[in-house]
This record gives sequence, structure tokens and C-alpha cells, in this order.
Amino acid sequence: PEEKCRVLSIQSHVVRGYVGNKSATFPLQVLGFEVDSINSVQFSNHTGYAHWKGQVLTADELNVLYEGIKLNKVNHYDYILTGYSRDTSFLETVVDIIQELKKANPSLVYVCDPVMGDHGAMYVPENLLPVYRDKVVPLADILTPNQFEAELLTGRKVNTQEDAFEVMDLLHKMGPETVVLTSSDLPSKKGDQFLVALGSQKIVKPDGSKTSQKICMDIPKVDAVFVGTGDLFAAMLLAWTHHHPKDLKAACEKTVSVMHHVIKRTITYANEMAGPGKRPSPAQLELRMVQSKADIENPAIVVEAKVLHKSSQ
Amino acid sequence: MECRVLSIQSHVVRGYVGNKSASFPLQVLGFEVDSINSVQFSNHTGYSHWKGQVLTADELHVLYEGIKLNNVHQYDYVLTGYTRDTSFLEMVVDIVQELKRANPNLVYVCDPVLGDHGSMYVPQNLYPVYKNKVVPVADIITPNQFEADLRISLTDSLLGDRFLVSLGSQRQVRPDGSRATQRVRIEVPKVDAVFVGTGDLFAAMLLAWTHHYPNDLKMACEKTFSVMHHVIQRTISYAHELAGPGRRPSPPQLELRMVQSKADIEDPAIVTEATVIS
Repeated sequence: PEEKCRVLSIQSHVVRGYVGNKSATFPLQVLGFEVDSINSVQFSNHTGYAHWKGQVLTADELNVLYEGIKLNKVNHYDYILTGYSRDTSFLETVVDIIQELKKANPSLVYVCDPVMGDHGAMYVPENLLPVYRDKVVPLADILTPNQFEAELLTGRKVNTQEDAFEVMDLLHKMGPETVVLTSSDLPSKKGDQFLVALGSQKIVKPDGSKTSQKICMDIPKVDAVFVGTGDLFAAMLLAWTHHHPKDLKAACEKTVSVMHHVIKRTITYANEMAGPGKRPSPAQLELRMVQSKADIENPAIVVEAKVLHKSSQ
Repeated sequence: MECRVLSIQSHVVRGYVGNKSASFPLQVLGFEVDSINSVQFSNHTGYSHWKGQVLTADELHVLYEGIKLNNVHQYDYVLTGYTRDTSFLEMVVDIVQELKRANPNLVYVCDPVLGDHGSMYVPQNLYPVYKNKVVPVADIITPNQFEADLRISLTDSLLGDRFLVSLGSQRQVRPDGSRATQRVRIEVPKVDAVFVGTGDLFAAMLLAWTHHYPNDLKMACEKTFSVMHHVIQRTISYAHELAGPGRRPSPPQLELRMVQSKADIEDPAIVTEATVIS
């Protein structure tokens, strides 16, 4: 894409491996997006390895970098992408920057992965929740929570698919037009080798007319712990909603399909490296990103999203 | 192809210099690129303003320690470029030496960035570090004429003053143990603009193409110079479009059209022929 494709991504950098900006940047560039990246930390590798070392960017240092961009009058972005954060003052500075960038470009789309935890437990400091809920999510246009994060943000438990869509409606009211529940523990009709992901889009156009779409996907589970997949997901959802802004089904099918190809290639390679009967290590499980370039460029669709509801008024 | 590069260069939020210039093209060509960002700046220093933070030699060491503790300090290539700090450069040398002990086949591609057109644009005390410590551990170096410290004046291009001359030299050991030196000469069309990041792209692409043509410097250079040509042509066209007729493009407008040049990076059409001199 040529026009309207400059992304500001504010995420972690790791020397080795694929999380944060390392996970998001290459795939977006391969799809033709200009990616400006602010590295919120620089670590040797992700924190799932036996050891990790590095430095973090302070909120002040983030501000200084943004000032440089602003002084040169190049603070014009079509998209902003954020993910894992551990620091409330850093997150609050991110909010200020987004607000300013939205004033500079009212069409800016903020893709937000509200990373807080999973499987019922938070893995960031608790005091990030109010910042996400009250300041970040209201600015988001596309939100990619997992079930736990969606429950935290709305204060509501999800037990059924109806609950899930009610929670997503609450999230729409808080801000984002597009919400994708990237994983849930809802039972899949295809059996326990699958997890359920849901998507909801509620667009109100300037003339007052509305379109809405609700979709459901059954995604094959993989027996391994991957790191950086959420970051890849948010980046690819950015790319595919760019190409399919009013067709959440198409955007999600492409996004989930890319994930599938990268994960399959990764687990195959990891098992090869580990050897028969051995569980692969974090180093061996790093996403096979560079090797997946063709799948990133043109993902063969391997998951069909079911449209549960679609309307235009 | 399983090929891992450690690149220790600058990071800019916006634009294409240092690691921003080197990583994407190498990744597009299938290399795994581990990158240590020696600085994080908003943009390169040719803009009116720039702001950011630098990595100290200690912080560099800490990052390397993390890699080493996990036992993943195995690299096929190391790539370095612009540095302003002698202690940082000395730490880089220590790291390269250790990585070479871990993998004796490691190839260190070094752009000894010191200056151009007769003057230094880094602190003078970097020169002895490059000369005495860095270059001795380098396998491939990409100096310009000033950095190579040539005392002879180079011949002019045979094609006229719209071209500049580049020379390459590779010492090889043949299977029978005898030694040979391949020397090549390339005439490169000049472009009337100041680009930033092109040297970083050049070193990265020379890494890639010497990897594919380890004993054919002519071919490696032809591919490398051709990629440069395509990226630069695309960049200057776009810059002029943005600037408008009769106006000189600005630094932001002259940022390399890297992402748009993916196809040329993957498979550069050869546009310049290198002459083998001996």
C-alpha cells in the first residue's frame, strides 16, 4: 500500500528473537507499511528464557524521542500500535502522545493490545488496569484482548458466548469500533483441540449510518508455549483491517491464517531442533518469522470465520 | 539457509540508517538478524533536529552477557558501522573476538566509518582503535577512499564525471593452497543528492551477496551495487515528487524507499558490470 500507511509502533526490542517490535516490524514492512518504531526496552531476549538482561526506556526518554519527531514536523501517522507495557507513567505518556497524534490526524487508527495477563492471572502490575480501562481503551480503535483481559476491563465474567459478545459490546461503548477476543476458554464445536476466538465490529459513519458484524472462529490449538504471537497477531490485524476495513471476517481469516502458518513452521522446526521426545526450549521456539515471508505476504486461508450477525443501517 | 547475523548499529525511530537500514534487507534475504541498538534517536542527524539516547559500553556488555548466559552466542556474521565512542568500539572488538572463538568461521563485516571528502566526522581518537584493533579482526571492510587512507589519487572514471569509481579486492586461498587476489573495478553513476544510510545498506548487502558468492567478488559487487542503484533511483524519484519541481528535497523526503524496494532487494536486476582487473 502506498498511501496512508505509516505506523508508529511503541513496543519492546529484543536483540534475539521475535517479541514486541521485533515481532511486529518485519511482517508489516513486508506488507509495505512504513514502520517507525520506538523501543520501550532493549533486552537480550524475551523473559521466558533462563536469563535476560537489558535496559528500559523511561517515560521521559519516550517523550524526548517523540519531541524529536515533532520538532521535525514528521509526527504524522496513520496507525499506532502498542502492546506489552509494565509501567504506568510510560503508558500515560503513550496516551498523551496518541492524543496529540490523533489531533494531528483525526483519521489515525490506534491498534491496542491491552496486555495484562491470561488464564485468570495478571502478569503486569495491577495498577496498569485503571490506566488501560480509563485512559488507553477509550482511545483505541481496534482492541485485541484475550478473554481474561476483556473481563478485567469490563468487570464482567464470561461463561458463555452470549456473555462474550455482551462484554465486547461494553468494550465498544468504551471506545474501540473493532474488538477481537483473541482467545477464550469457551467450548469449540470442533472439539477440545480447538479454541474459540470472537470478533465484533460496530462502525458508526459520519452520516450516522451504522454497520456491524459479529464473527466466530475455531482455531486449532498447538501444544507449546509461544512468545510474541500476540504481538504478531495485533500487527497482522492492523495490516488486514487496513485492506478490509469493513469486513472483519476477511481481516480475521487472513490474520489467523498467517498465525497458523508461522506457528506450524515454528513448531516443526523447534521439534526438529529439540530431537525426538524432547520439549523444545524457548530459544528453539522463537517464531520462524523470516522463513515465513511468503505466508506473511499472501496467507493461504486455513480458518473460516463464521458470520453470526451482520447489519447495515 | 540458516544464517545468523549480529548487527551492532544505531536505531532511529524514523528513517533508514544503521540497524534500520541493514535489518529489513537482510531479513528479506532470509538472514536471521539479531540487533543491538547502539543508540536510539528520533531520526538521523541530517535533519534539523534529533533527540535520543546512547548505549554505553557497559550496557552493550550487559546485553551481550544476556545472550551468552543463554548459550545462544553463536553467529555466522557480525556487522558494525557508525560509532562515536572509543570505549564502545573496544567493547565491540572484545565481543567479536569472543564470538570468533565460539565460531572460528565467523565473518566480521566492518564499515570503518570515520569520515569522507577529506575530513573526519567522528572523534579523532577512533582512528587508532579502528586501525590497530578493529580492522585486524575484520574479514570484510567497506571503507571509502578517505577511510582507506590512500595516498595516491584515484583515476577518474572512464565514463566521465557523472560516475565515481569503486574498487574491490579479495584475497583467496585456492583448494591447492595457493593464494590469489581478485581485484575488481566498478563505475557507479553519481546521483545529485545527499543520502543517509546508503553506506549501511551497502555493507549489509555486501554481507548477503558475499555469502552467496564467497569466491566471486565480481558477482557479489555487481549485485550489491545494483541493489543500491535501484533503491537510490526509487528514492530520488519519490523525493523529487514530494519536493515539487525546482525544489531540493529535504532529509525526511530523501529517506530511502526501503520497504518499497523489497523486490529489488530480493532479486536485483544487474545494472552495473564490474571489471576484473587481475
